[in-house]
Amino acid sequence: MPLDKENARSVQVLGIDAGGTMTDTFFVDANGDFVVGKSQSTPQNEALGLIASSKEGLEHWGLTLEEALEQIQTGVYSGTAMLNRVVQRKGLRCGLIVNAGMEDFHRMGRAIQAYLGFAYEDRIHLNTHYYDEPLVPRHLTRGVMERVDMSGTVVIPLREDTAREAARELIAQDVEGIVISLLHSYKNPDHERRVRDIVQEEVDASGKGIPVFASTDYYPVRKETHRTNTTILEAYAAEPSRQTLNKISTAFKDHGSKFDFRVMATHGGTISWKAKELARTIVSGPIGGVIGAKYLGETLGYKNIACSDIGGTSFDVALITQNELTIKNDPDMARLVLSLPLVAMDSVGAGAGSFIRLDPYTKAIKLGPDSAGYRVGVCWADSGIETVSISDCHVILGYLNPDNFLGGQVKLDRQRAWDAMKEQIADPLGLTVEEAAAGVIELLDSDLRDYLRAMISGKGSSPSNFVCFSYGGAGPVHTYGYTEGLGFEDVIVPAWAAGFSAFGCAAADFEYRYDKSLDINIDEAAHETDKARQAATLQAAWDELAERVLEEFALNGYSADKVTLQPGFRMQYRGQLNDLEIESPIASATTADDWDALVGAFNDTYGRVYAASARSPELGYSVTGAIMRGTVPIPKPRIPREKLHDATPPEAAKLGTRQFYRKGKWVDAQLYQMEKLLPGNRVFGPAIIESDATTFVVPEGFETWLDEHRLFHLQEV
Amino acid sequence: MNIQTDIKEGIVRGGETLKQHRDRLMEATKRTGHYAGLRHMELRDEQPIKYNKLFSRLRAGVVDARETAKKIAASPIVEQEGELCFTLYNAAGDSILTSTGIIIHVGTMGAAIKYMIENGWEENPGIADGDIFCNNDSLIGNVHPCDIHTIVPIFHEGKLIGWVGGVTHVIDTGSVGPGSMSTGQIQRFGDGYSVTCRKIGENDTLKRDWLHESQRMVRTTRYWMLDERTRVAGCHMIRDLVKEVIAEEGIESYWNFAYEAVEHGRVGLQNRIKAMTIPGKYRQVGFVDVPYAHDDVRVPSDFAKVDTIMHTPSEITIRGDGTWKLDFEGSSRWGWHTYNAHQVSFTSGIWVMMTQSLIPTEMINDGAAYGTEFRLPKGTWMNPDDRRVAFSYSWHFLVSSWTALWRGLSRSYFGRGYLEEVNAGNANTSNWLQGGGFNQYDEIHAVNSFECAANGVGASAFGDGISHAAAIWNPEGDMGDMEIWELAEPLVYLGRQIKASSGGAGKYRGGCGFESLRMVWNAKDWTMFFMGNGHITSDWGLMGGYPAASGYRFEAHDTGLKEKIANGDPIPFGGDTDPEHPVYESMLEGARVKRDKQAITTEAMFEDYDLYLNYMRGGPGFGDPLDRVPQSVADDVNGGYLLERFADSVYGVILTPAGDGLRGVDEAATAARRTEIRQQRLAESEPTADWMAREREKILAKDAGTHVQQMFAASFKLGPKFEEDFRAFWSLPEDWKLNEADLPIPSYGREYTMDLSELPDVRTVQLVEE
Repeated sequence: MPLDKENARSVQVLGIDAGGTMTDTFFVDANGDFVVGKSQSTPQNEALGLIASSKEGLEHWGLTLEEALEQIQTGVYSGTAMLNRVVQRKGLRCGLIVNAGMEDFHRMGRAIQAYLGFAYEDRIHLNTHYYDEPLVPRHLTRGVMERVDMSGTVVIPLREDTAREAARELIAQDVEGIVISLLHSYKNPDHERRVRDIVQEEVDASGKGIPVFASTDYYPVRKETHRTNTTILEAYAAEPSRQTLNKISTAFKDHGSKFDFRVMATHGGTISWKAKELARTIVSGPIGGVIGAKYLGETLGYKNIACSDIGGTSFDVALITQNELTIKNDPDMARLVLSLPLVAMDSVGAGAGSFIRLDPYTKAIKLGPDSAGYRVGVCWADSGIETVSISDCHVILGYLNPDNFLGGQVKLDRQRAWDAMKEQIADPLGLTVEEAAAGVIELLDSDLRDYLRAMISGKGSSPSNFVCFSYGGAGPVHTYGYTEGLGFEDVIVPAWAAGFSAFGCAAADFEYRYDKSLDINIDEAAHETDKARQAATLQAAWDELAERVLEEFALNGYSADKVTLQPGFRMQYRGQLNDLEIESPIASATTADDWDALVGAFNDTYGRVYAASARSPELGYSVTGAIMRGTVPIPKPRIPREKLHDATPPEAAKLGTRQFYRKGKWVDAQLYQMEKLLPGNRVFGPAIIESDATTFVVPEGFETWLDEHRLFHLQEV
Repeated sequence: MNIQTDIKEGIVRGGETLKQHRDRLMEATKRTGHYAGLRHMELRDEQPIKYNKLFSRLRAGVVDARETAKKIAASPIVEQEGELCFTLYNAAGDSILTSTGIIIHVGTMGAAIKYMIENGWEENPGIADGDIFCNNDSLIGNVHPCDIHTIVPIFHEGKLIGWVGGVTHVIDTGSVGPGSMSTGQIQRFGDGYSVTCRKIGENDTLKRDWLHESQRMVRTTRYWMLDERTRVAGCHMIRDLVKEVIAEEGIESYWNFAYEAVEHGRVGLQNRIKAMTIPGKYRQVGFVDVPYAHDDVRVPSDFAKVDTIMHTPSEITIRGDGTWKLDFEGSSRWGWHTYNAHQVSFTSGIWVMMTQSLIPTEMINDGAAYGTEFRLPKGTWMNPDDRRVAFSYSWHFLVSSWTALWRGLSRSYFGRGYLEEVNAGNANTSNWLQGGGFNQYDEIHAVNSFECAANGVGASAFGDGISHAAAIWNPEGDMGDMEIWELAEPLVYLGRQIKASSGGAGKYRGGCGFESLRMVWNAKDWTMFFMGNGHITSDWGLMGGYPAASGYRFEAHDTGLKEKIANGDPIPFGGDTDPEHPVYESMLEGARVKRDKQAITTEAMFEDYDLYLNYMRGGPGFGDPLDRVPQSVADDVNGGYLLERFADSVYGVILTPAGDGLRGVDEAATAARRTEIRQQRLAESEPTADWMAREREKILAKDAGTHVQQMFAASFKLGPKFEEDFRAFWSLPEDWKLNEADLPIPSYGREYTMDLSELPDVRTVQLVEE
C-alpha cells in the first residue's frame, strides 16, 4: 500500500502462537481479511518476539503496530513456555503438604509416568524406563495427620498441630509456593481447607507472602496423583507464566493496546491471564487449530470434523462431533498424569521430519519416533543429519521444491537424499530408490489413515459422517495420502494452513469450565423419589460450579446475564472405573423424568463409543462428576468471502512443471502459486500448489477447487 | 462310490480340517527348520511395503482394541493395572501379533486353540462364525485359573482364517479362599471355577446357561461380568479390523502374512541372539520357599503340611548360528501347593521376560517359541505329570526361576559390551494382599491388590535399577492411585513409602520396592492373607551385587487404634522403615502382632482398625558395593533408599552430617574403611579346595535341613543328569544315596501320579522336549 495514502483498514483481532522456535501472529480486520506475521521466538523475553512478529505481519498491510493496536478489540495468546518450564524442571521451588505417612507418593509418581509417551518397543523394554525428577523434592514435602475415607467420612480427625508444624518448616525453607493435597479431599474438603487456612495464617505471620494452593480449590477430582500433579503445576509453572503474560500485556499496552489478553486453555476456550486455574493453559498451541476448525465448521455448517495437523515431529488428530469437542479428563502431558479437562487430541510420533530406519534384526521399516525436526533431513547439506527422513522422500519424489523450502531460506540437495535413501533403505530391501521412497510415504500415509479411522470408529461413527480438515506446515503434502479411500464427506485444506493455529486462537470462545467429582449411585429401576433426589444432588453441584464460573467472568467485568451456561456430567455403569462425558440435554435437573433424560443420553453414547453389547444398565448408574461451562460473546475473525472466478486457474498462478513420482511412474506435475489461485479455480492432478509455508500435493486421480472462503476442497475423481 | 466324497470338507480356508492344517504346518516346520516350511517369505521379500503396512495396521488395531476395551472393565486390575491382552492367531493357533499387557498369554491362548484343534472341536461342539469360546484350564496351558480367555474364530467367505483371543486377570475365581491367587488349597479342585475351551456363545451372543452358571461360580460377579464384556468387545473389534484389512489388501496377502509373520519372528529372534550374545553355556539357578509347616498356613491335608524349597537349575546353550536351547533338568517335582505351572505358561512366560530385554520388538509372536528349544522334564513343577495339581499362584516360582535367565543373558550382554541392557534380575513380585468378606458396600467381595505391579528392577551394568516401577509379568508396571484402591478395598492407607534397603546393594543398586500400611475400615466378616517369598531371597545379585531383601509379614489385631485416634494419641503411620528396629509396636501396646518371616499365610480374620503391611519387593544389585560412588550412597540414605547403618557395613562409606538433617561423605574415612573391608575379606577367605572339602563332609553326613535334603532328593529323582553332575562335582561315593522315602516327611506324589493325557479321549499338546 502506498505510504502516502491513508490506511482505512480496521484491525479487530490478534491471535498469537508463541512456539519454541517461531512466534506467529495473526491479525484479522473488520472485513475478515487476515495477515500472518512470523518471527523468531525470544524465550528470555517473549514480548520482544511478539512485537517483532506483529510488526512483520502488519507491514504487509502497511500498518504500524500502534495504528493496529489502538483498534484491536481482542487478543488471544497461546504458547509453549509453560510446558517447557515443566519439561525442563525450571519452575518455582514449591513445598508440598500431604497425608502423614504418604510423603513419598508424589516422587514415586505412578509407575506409568516412567514410560508415558514411549513407542511400543520402549514400553516393553524395561531398561529404557525412567522417572523424571519430581516437581517437588521429597525434602520439601511434609505430612499432616488426618484421614478421610472414600465416602467423605472422617477416619482420623485433623491434628492441627501437625499442619502448623508442616507449614512452619516449609516457610522456613523459603519455598515460593505451598501446595496441599489430602486423600479424598474432593469428597470432603473440610480437612484440606482447614490445613490451607492454617498454612495461610502461618504464611501471614511470617510476612513472606508465599501463595497457598489447596487441591480442592482447583481440581476437586478423584485420583490423587493426577490431582496433586495438577495443583503443583499451578504453583510451580503457572505463576511464572502469569508474570510473563502480565509482561506481554504491558508491552502491548505500551504500544497503545486497549484490550486484555486472553489465553488458550486446555478445555478449548480462552480464559483471562488473571484466571485462577492458569495451569490449564499448559498446552494451547495445538488446540488452536482444533478451535479454528470448530469455528469454521460452525460458520460454514460442518458439524462433524476430523482435524488433522502434521508438523515436523508428530501427527495430531482431534475430533469434533456435533460441533462439540471431545474432552479427556485425566490426560497426561510432559510425562505427568493430570486432572485437567483437555481437548482430546491424539498424536502419532510420525511427522515430516521423522527418521526412517530398517530394524537391523528383522528388516522391518521403522518410522520415527525421533525426528530431524527443523533440520529437515539428509537433503539439507548443512543439517548434519545422516539418517534419511520423510522429507528426504518428499524431495526425492518431487513433492517438494528443493529451491523453495521455507520460501527458499533453506536449499535442499536432492542427490544427497537420493544417495542416502539408496544406501540405507532401497538396497537392503531390494527396491529402487523411487520405490523405496514412495513405499515409505505409502506406509506413513497408511499409518495415519488407520489412526484417523480408529479414532472415528472409537467414537462409534464412520468417516462418511465427517469432514476432514488438514493443516499444519506438512499437512497438505499428505492430505491425499491419509484420506484416500476413507470416504470422508469432504476434505478441506485452508489456504492459510500454516497460520491456522493462530487463527483458531483468535476464534476461540471466552469460556470457563469447572469440574467436580461426585458419587451418585442409583439402580436401573430406582424409585421416582430416589431419581428426583439424585437429580437434586447433581443440580446442587451445577449450582456450585456455575457460581465459580460467574465469579471468574465478574473478575473480567461480565455480569451474570451476559454468560451462557451449559451443564454437563460424567456417568458410568455402577462399579466401572471409566466414565463418559455427556453434555446435559436439559438445562437443570429436578424430577425423575429429568434423571431419565440424563440416563438416556448416557446409554446412547455408551453404545456408540464401545458396543451395544457392552452396555450394562443392569448394574445401575453412577454419576462421577458435574461440569459447568460458561461463555460470553466476543468478537471473532470473519471468514473471508470472495467473488468466484472461472474454473480455469489464471496463467499467472502457474509456475511450470516438476517431475513427480507416484504409483510406480514419473509424471510431470503442474506447479501453482497458492496465493495466485482464485476462488472458483479447479486444479486437476498431478499438480503441486506451493506457497512459502506449505505445499499442497494433488496427485493424479484427485482434483481440488478453491471456494469463496479460500478453502481448498480435495476430491478423488 | 468315490472315496473322496466321504471325506467332509474341513472348515479351514482351502478345505483342510483344522487338524490337517496344523499337522501339515508342523510337519513342514520340522522338516525344513522354517515355520510352515517357509524358506522364503514371498510377501515380505517381494512386497516389503505391503507387508509392513499389514503388520503396522494390524498391530496398531490390536493395541487400540486393548486400550478401548479396558475402559469397559470395573476391576482396577484390568482398568488401572492393564492386566489384559489381545492376540491375533492364524488358523493353526500360532500367534501373529499381540497387544501390550500380560503377553504371557500369547502362548497360553494359542495352546487352548491347539487343544481344540487336536481334540476334534471342529466336529463337536463345532466351530462356526460368531462362536465364542472360554478357557481357563491350567492343565492345558493356562498360567492360573484367574486368567480367563475369550477366544473367537475369524471366518472369511465361510472359511476359518484365524482366531483372536482376549484375556483378563479376574479378581476372583471362586476358589477355596477369596482372591484370584489364593493359598490353602493343594489340589486343583480347590482352585476354583475351571473351564476347558467351552463354547459359551453363538452368533456373537453369550448363552444364558453360561451367564447364569459362571456368574454364581465366583464371588465378585460384577467384575466378572464386565471383564467378560471387555474381552468379547475387544475380540470383536479385532475381528472387524481383520475383515477390513482383508477387504482392502485382499485375502491372499492376509493369508500369506499370517504365516510369514511367524517365520519372520523366528528369524528376528535368531538375528537378535546373534547380535546380543556370545555362544556358549550359561548356567544358573533359582529357589523359593514353601513354608507350609507353620500354624498360619491351614491346608486340608496332612501330607501337604511340610516346609519345602522349590528348585530350578537352568542351562542356556547358545549356538553360533543364533539358535538356542533352554534346559531345566534338575527342577523340583510338582507339589501340594498352588505354585505349579504348565509347560506352556512356563515357556510362554519366558517370552514375556525376553521381550523386556532380548527382543523388545513389535514382532512378538510364536516365531520366538519356534526359534527356541525347551527341555522341561516331565513331572517337574513346570511340567507336572498329575492332573490333581493346583496352579492358582504359579507365579510364586515362575518369577524366581526366570530371574536366573536374565542373569544368564546379562553375562552375555556384558561380554558384548551392552552394559545398558544388563539386568541383574527381576524382583519377586509380591506381596499379594488378598482376602474377602463383606466390603464397604455391604456386598460379598474379594480383594487382590495389584500394587505389586510396581516392584524394584534389577540394576544394569550402567546404572541403578528403577524403583517401584515394574513386574516381570507385565512390562507396563504401575502401582495405581491410593484413592482407587480404597474404592476397591475396605482398607484405608496409613502409609505409602519407598522401602529402604529393599533393593540389592551393589556398584549399581537394585531398584527399591515400596510398602503400604493399611487399616481395615468398614469391613465385615473379613479375612486377609499374605503371599510372597520370606525365608529365601528369590533373586540373586550379579557380579558382586547383592540380592534384593526378602519378604516378611506384619499384621496387628486388637490394636486399640479406635481409642488412640479418638484421644489424639500417637498411631502407626508411614512405612515400617527399619523392620529390625520397629516403631509401630511402640504405639500398639497390648495388640496381637505378627511380625515374622512367614510371608505365606491362609485366611486370617481381620476387624476394623486392624493393620496389614503390604510390602513390595526390590530388585537385585550389580557389581561390588565397595565400587559404588560414595556420594550415591549418601544420596540413597538421604532419599530413603538405604538404611543408614548399611552405608558403613555394606558400602564402606562413612557419612557425615551435611546440614538440614542430610548426610554427606567423609572421603578420607571412606577410603580407609573400604581398604579395611577389602583386607578383612582377604583375611576371611580360604582356598576353594579347602572350603569344598569341608562342605563335602557335610554332604556326606547329610548335615542339612530336611527341606534342603528333600529338595535335592526330588531333583535327583527327576534329573538323573543333575544328580550325576552333583556327584561328580562333590566326588561322592557310589553308596551315598539321598532318597525322599528316607526323610521324616511325607512325599505323596513321589511314586504315584496320573497325567491328564491318561484320561479317555484326551490328546494333550506337547510343545517341549520332556
